[in-house]
Amino acid sequence: MARRERTRPVPADAPWIVWTVVLPLLAAPVAFVLGRRGLAPFAAASSLGVAASVAALAWQVAAQGVQRHRLGGWGAPLGIELHADGLSVLMLVMTAVTGVVVSLHAHGTFGLGGHETREPSGRARFWPLWLFLWGGLNAVFLSADLFNLFVSLELVTLSAVALVALAATRVAVAAALQYLLAAMLGSLLYLLGVALVYATEGTLSLDELARGAPHASVAPPALALLTIGLALKTALFPLHFWLPPAHANAPTPVSALLSGLVVKASFYVLWRLWFQAFPGVAPFEASMLLAVLGTGAIVWGSVQALQATRLKSLVAYSTVAQLGYLFLVFPLVGGPGGLAAWQACAVFAVSHAFAKAAFFMAAGNIRLAAGHDRIADLDGIGARLPRSFFAVGLASVALMGLPPSGTFVAKWMMMRAALESGQAWLMVVMLLGGLFSAGYCFRVLARAFTPPTDTPLQPVPGSLDAAALALAVIALATGLFVAPALDLLAIGAPDVAGLGQDGPR
Amino acid sequence: MTAILWAFDVVLAVTLVALAAGVLATASLFRSIVLFIVFGLTMSIAWARLDAVDLGLVEAAVGAGLTGALLLNTLGHMRSQAEFTPEPSHGPGGRLALALAAGTAGLAIGAAVWAWPDAFAGLGDRVDTHLAESGAQNPVTAVLLNFRAYDTLLEIGVLVVAVVAVWALSPMRGRVLDADPPGLVLAGFVHLLVPVVVLVAGYLLWMGTDAPGGAFQAGAVLAAAGVLLLITGRVAPPQLQAIVERGAVVLGLVAFLAVGVAVMAGGHAFLELPDAWATTLILLLESLLTISIAIVLVILFAGGRTDAAHPPEDAAP
Repeated sequence: MARRERTRPVPADAPWIVWTVVLPLLAAPVAFVLGRRGLAPFAAASSLGVAASVAALAWQVAAQGVQRHRLGGWGAPLGIELHADGLSVLMLVMTAVTGVVVSLHAHGTFGLGGHETREPSGRARFWPLWLFLWGGLNAVFLSADLFNLFVSLELVTLSAVALVALAATRVAVAAALQYLLAAMLGSLLYLLGVALVYATEGTLSLDELARGAPHASVAPPALALLTIGLALKTALFPLHFWLPPAHANAPTPVSALLSGLVVKASFYVLWRLWFQAFPGVAPFEASMLLAVLGTGAIVWGSVQALQATRLKSLVAYSTVAQLGYLFLVFPLVGGPGGLAAWQACAVFAVSHAFAKAAFFMAAGNIRLAAGHDRIADLDGIGARLPRSFFAVGLASVALMGLPPSGTFVAKWMMMRAALESGQAWLMVVMLLGGLFSAGYCFRVLARAFTPPTDTPLQPVPGSLDAAALALAVIALATGLFVAPALDLLAIGAPDVAGLGQDGPR
Repeated sequence: MTAILWAFDVVLAVTLVALAAGVLATASLFRSIVLFIVFGLTMSIAWARLDAVDLGLVEAAVGAGLTGALLLNTLGHMRSQAEFTPEPSHGPGGRLALALAAGTAGLAIGAAVWAWPDAFAGLGDRVDTHLAESGAQNPVTAVLLNFRAYDTLLEIGVLVVAVVAVWALSPMRGRVLDADPPGLVLAGFVHLLVPVVVLVAGYLLWMGTDAPGGAFQAGAVLAAAGVLLLITGRVAPPQLQAIVERGAVVLGLVAFLAVGVAVMAGGHAFLELPDAWATTLILLLESLLTISIAIVLVILFAGGRTDAAHPPEDAAP
């Protein structure tokens, strides 16, 4: 047990790992106290500040390797540690890029008054909650402690629920309440799992858990509880019931943040637990079950998206489907080509975040212009909203997994891993999912090719279209940055090749 | 003596299960809430029997007290709404499915507990070893304000988010709190009780570093005084319009962050309390946290703004 090493001076470079969490958590209460006074410059400065600290941390990790910080000066297991490895940094960058662009969109949306929110102080309500959410997400991606992950996820969940309720319609408030209750049940199951782990292992540190030999008869049910709780929070089919109403009825920028980022946070924790904290605890059959549920998610989510009558519902069900891909990877990680599958999952999560957030923003812009988002009634306005539909088109390319998007590279790597480990059925599922997403994306895109009518349209501020387009372009371009992303992921990556003892032969 | 205690524990356990079943089975929401409050009080005795006195205090103050008051207030508010009709509960099929799911989970956890290792390898020894350096004599306070202060920091963040969420929602329509003025007995009772409650909160805060107690317990007790003042109409529900009110909500969180960052200037890690200052800093933080926790809980009880600027209206599209 290492008590604080006071004698060693703090390294010359600043602890950016702390600032990435502290800055948003400090900015959030200040934004709350400020209210409307000077909010715009403050919000801009704090977003850029958080993004800059993420960039600095990314540079630090790339240059010096894994960063650690012992909070309070106590090391694990007595205290809590923050760790930043390649995966953490990739998630932080995903959050920062999506966050900054969506913030632009939110600034426009919540400044409108009337449409998305009924009262003019929409921005004053959005900013504190979003900054709390951002801080919570960063805290999740940096935490190296099982219980601290619970607290960080609570921060994420509660601010996400409140953001949904900002839409202030009865449907949205009901959806937010359902989301809250589902997420709380997930937290409860997670907490039960944490209690079992602590009682048998005597530590909450992910590193120490990884090093120790897990208790043979308690660790599996504990991991099962943790997994069910996190799957509920990630909206894995059939536990996805809360996601479509919440994501479809939230204000558009919130939908983008929730579908792009928030569901990834609980998935990230699941990912860390399975492959880093409890490697080899789950039997192969359990990872197979997750893949089967992922397949269910792809089929069910796609079928619902194909039948959706409202544009934002379509995008929300697409999230249910796309989350399925993340779970297809579980039986692949232990097999040959497992590391590629592990990396592919991270790349997929990032490019899906960009594509989905862009899609939601574009869908929201179309809704804003048309005054509704009934897909059947969108005929004739596509040609008059070229920017919005172009953004939908670009985001669709990324969702379908066509080059040069990151999703294409990720699916390619997943399919290779599926073939290498002799689980070709997973490849079939991935191809099928791609066709499905083409199907529902074209339902929207087809509206762009109907002859223009003279239906009156509301003007959409240029910043809203610019934000959607910018993120769509980023989503499309992620494929070009896969090589540096893989280099980054290699820093502190778990030894997934060693997990194969239980795999299929 | 041990036989009596053993029997007491069995009675306690059976009572808890029976109360929990009663909360779920009762058709009347009001009766269900009352049983829930009794459950919370019984639970706090159970915590005390488990030597978790800090937890018992919180359970009694928050679990039974404030949550109970919050539920009763909500029920009253719901009944005052003309269109309120109680939602039909799950059908028999749904109940059966829920019971099966809960039963399976219970069995799985039971099986895991059955296979418990004999020696519990917690972190208690490590906490004891470093207690002297932590600046607190009460191990619970040492964990909350020093060893795992970061968790507490984020939890305070969660409390602030709850208030921001309530504030960001649309203003409430008519509230129960304004319904009837307090009777003479209640008003006189509050007059006597509030000073005592404030004294108890101060005691819990002051003792927290050495004995069971601390910011959470003190804040919850202080909030109870606030709730009494609200119910009797002595103070108006906070509207969070004034900067002072909002500042009080975030005071604990901001101070916590400020202390955490300030020590970094001296070459320490984030939230690393220097030995010489640890006790002072813990007491300072706990005092500010008590204020924030109390006002947060009172605002959550009041349940949102009643904005005069935004007259009540239906939010339905």
